[in-house]
Parts: sequence; structure tokens; C-alpha cells
Amino acid sequence: MDNTVEAEIQQLHLAGMETALPNLPPVQLDAFEGPLDILLHLIRKQKMDVFDIPMATITSQYLNIIDSNKNLDVDVAGEYLVMASTLMQLKSRMLLPRQEVDEEGNEIDPRDALVAQLIAYEHYRMLAEELDEFPRMQRDVFKRSIFPESDNVERPLPEADLDALLSAFGQVLKRMKSEVLHRVILETMTVRQQIQFVTESLQQGSMSFHELLHDHQNREALVTTFLAILELWRQHVIQVIQTHHHACITLMLSISTQADKARI
Amino acid sequence: MLTRNIEALILASDEPLSFDKLRALLEPVESSDVREALNTLENHYADRGIQLKKIANGWQFRTAPACANIVEQLWQTRPPRLSRSILETLAIIAYQQPTTRAEIEVLRGIKVSSSIIAGLLERSWVKVLGRKDVPGRPHLYGTSKQFLSDFGLNSLQDLPDSAQLMDINETQQEALELPEPSQTTEYNNHD
Repeated sequence: MDNTVEAEIQQLHLAGMETALPNLPPVQLDAFEGPLDILLHLIRKQKMDVFDIPMATITSQYLNIIDSNKNLDVDVAGEYLVMASTLMQLKSRMLLPRQEVDEEGNEIDPRDALVAQLIAYEHYRMLAEELDEFPRMQRDVFKRSIFPESDNVERPLPEADLDALLSAFGQVLKRMKSEVLHRVILETMTVRQQIQFVTESLQQGSMSFHELLHDHQNREALVTTFLAILELWRQHVIQVIQTHHHACITLMLSISTQADKARI
Repeated sequence: MLTRNIEALILASDEPLSFDKLRALLEPVESSDVREALNTLENHYADRGIQLKKIANGWQFRTAPACANIVEQLWQTRPPRLSRSILETLAIIAYQQPTTRAEIEVLRGIKVSSSIIAGLLERSWVKVLGRKDVPGRPHLYGTSKQFLSDFGLNSLQDLPDSAQLMDINETQQEALELPEPSQTTEYNNHD
């Protein structure tokens, strides 16, 4: 913590020291959620009346706590110091004869604003505790779900399985609706040719399965190309990716294949 | 049969199933019959390992809180405890919504770090409702349906102690020194 902050605490501390203090156990600032939390801790622990806070006692106790936490983070030190000076100011105003009156001539207690703040904060502190006790999803109660552990775990793109690829192929065949004839035909197309066709098509970048088979209008071409895809996949030349069930299947050259090409 | 159908629909649905959705699915069954069947089911499950709960205005089966210690063993990881700063910030947003970060800071008496707000947004418990029409146009935060669902609430009315909160509203307004929200607030809902 830097020297100016420390000096400032020291100064405030000296100014607030004239009251004898009951010995309070040392506290760590980390355990508190800010200045209001500390003040409430002091007030409740000593069973003080929140509407009639003994400013002198509270001020010196507060300063003691701040002072004993020398390695206070400068970022949060500001708020604790602002509260320290507020307390100092209130303490001195309490010593003066009351001069402040509201519109109806009633005396204004200088502590009113701080009391309001403390009560409001204490209320939310309590509500927060109650909120924490509500049966919480994934902690106290569970529901039926596919991935119960978490929604924010990063999952790698899942690889499509063979079944998904086969059923996608089934859909393509179904769409063709061409009549099936039992006819012996010459093999006009080879798997080797189609392997070349697929790798060349994928040079441009990834393609969806349906896109790749789009231009093949007959069953033989479709089957041969499909066999080529299976062969390339088996040899890890291409990657087959499906983001979720029934999603479009994407084909792309494996990273190692792309690297090979780059080297050539 | 109606009871059985409702039971099956609620179990099969991924999200809490609203009364209107149920009734629409069960056409032409009378609303009163659906209500009665839900009541029967709710009572039927009252003492079981799973319970029928009305969550975020929909019906859902959930495991009983009493079984939590056993059920959690199904998974390796346990959800992390929520820090007091997160819980306090969430509580303030839940009761004061729509509210800004500056207003939360006044109530807590300490800076609200960006990571707290970011954490609440990431869990989808809190969402940005719009911007407040004051200099700087700060974000207005409110709680989401996910918040209701994860805390097992049917609506914001189910939050604890709201009656008592009304009593101290005046004190709070004093503490916040805020003008009436209705005059200054402008919603740009982008949900």
C-alpha cells in the first residue's frame, strides 16, 4: 500500500484515539464486504443501538481495524478511507450544539443518513443470506437434462459418427426417387476418381455433405462418392464434423493434410 | 387419464411447462380439470424423491432438496459457493430492479467490480433491461427467467420478505437520494 494512504490512515487514526476501547478480537478486512459491513459487525457485536450509534467509540474501533490491515489494496482503500472521514466528521458534529433543523423546526441528527444506509444495507445482507438458502438448481435440486454439469463448459466440435453419415446418405438417396433397375452396368466411375474429386472440392474450404453430393444425379455416382468420403475419412485425410444431432454434416481437409499441401 | 397425460407431458418437456401450454396441448379439456389434475399430482409427489414444482410460471419435475447429497454424487464437480458480494449484488438487483451499478454501489457502500456483474450476466441470472436516461446512460439491470428457475421461484413475488422491504423503502430512498424511477427511467428493451 502506498505511503500517502498509510499516512492518511495514521492521521485519521490519531485523531480518533482518545476513547478507551473494549478489546475486540482482531478482524481481517477480507472477511468484510466493505465499510458498511464492518460498521454493522461492530454495532451488532456490541449490541449497540443502530439509531443511537456512539460515534466516538465506533470511529476509533473502525480506524483500529483499518489500521491493523496495513496491506489494504489501494483500489479498495478509497471506500474505507471515505467512511473513516465520514465517521470523523459525524463524531465532531455530534460534539457541537445542534443547529441543523428541518422545515418543521425539528433537530436533524447528523447520523441520520449513515443510519439509513446501514439499515438498508443490513436488510439486503439478510436478503442475500435468505436467497442463498433457497433450494438452488444444480446445488440442492436437479432436473432431468442431457448435460447436467454445466452450460458454460467449452466443448470441442464433436466428430460425427458413422451412423449419422449413413443416415444422411440414406436421406440423399431417398430424395432422388429414381427408379431402381436391376441392370448390369459397366463401372464408369472409380472410387479413386471420386477421391480426387472430393479432395479437390475441399481444397476451396469446407463443404457440407449435401453440397458435395448435389451435382451427382445418379445412384452410382452417389455411392461411389460416398465410398470415397468414407475412405478419405478412414485415412484421416478429411474431417467430418457435426455440431449437434441432425445438424448439417460438414467435411473439411484435416489440418495435417492442409499442412502437407502448404509444404508442397 | 388426464393426470397421466399431464404427468407425461411435464416429464418430457425440457422447460417448465406453462398452464396455458398444457391446456392447449390437452384440448378440449377444461381448465378447471387441468388445474385439479395438477393439484392431484402435486400432492402425489409431495413426499417423493421427485417433486412437481411451479417454477417461473411453468410446471417442472425436480429432485427433492432432501436428496441433494445423494444426487450430487452423480457428477464429479459441485457448483462453486456464491460469494457474499455476488449474493448481495444479486439480491439488490432482484428487489430494486431496474437498477444501475451506481445504485447498487450506494446500497452496498463499496465498489461493485465488473467481474461481479459479468458473472451474474454470464450465469444469465441478470440481464440488461435498457439504459437509464441520466448522464452516462448507465445500464439498467434486472433479473431473468433463468434466475427464477435456478432459485426455484415462481415469480418475483416469491422472494422473501418483500412486505418488510416496503416498510423501509422510505429509508432507502433517503439513502439513495434518487428521484422517482418512473420519471427518469426509459426502457430500451433489447431482449
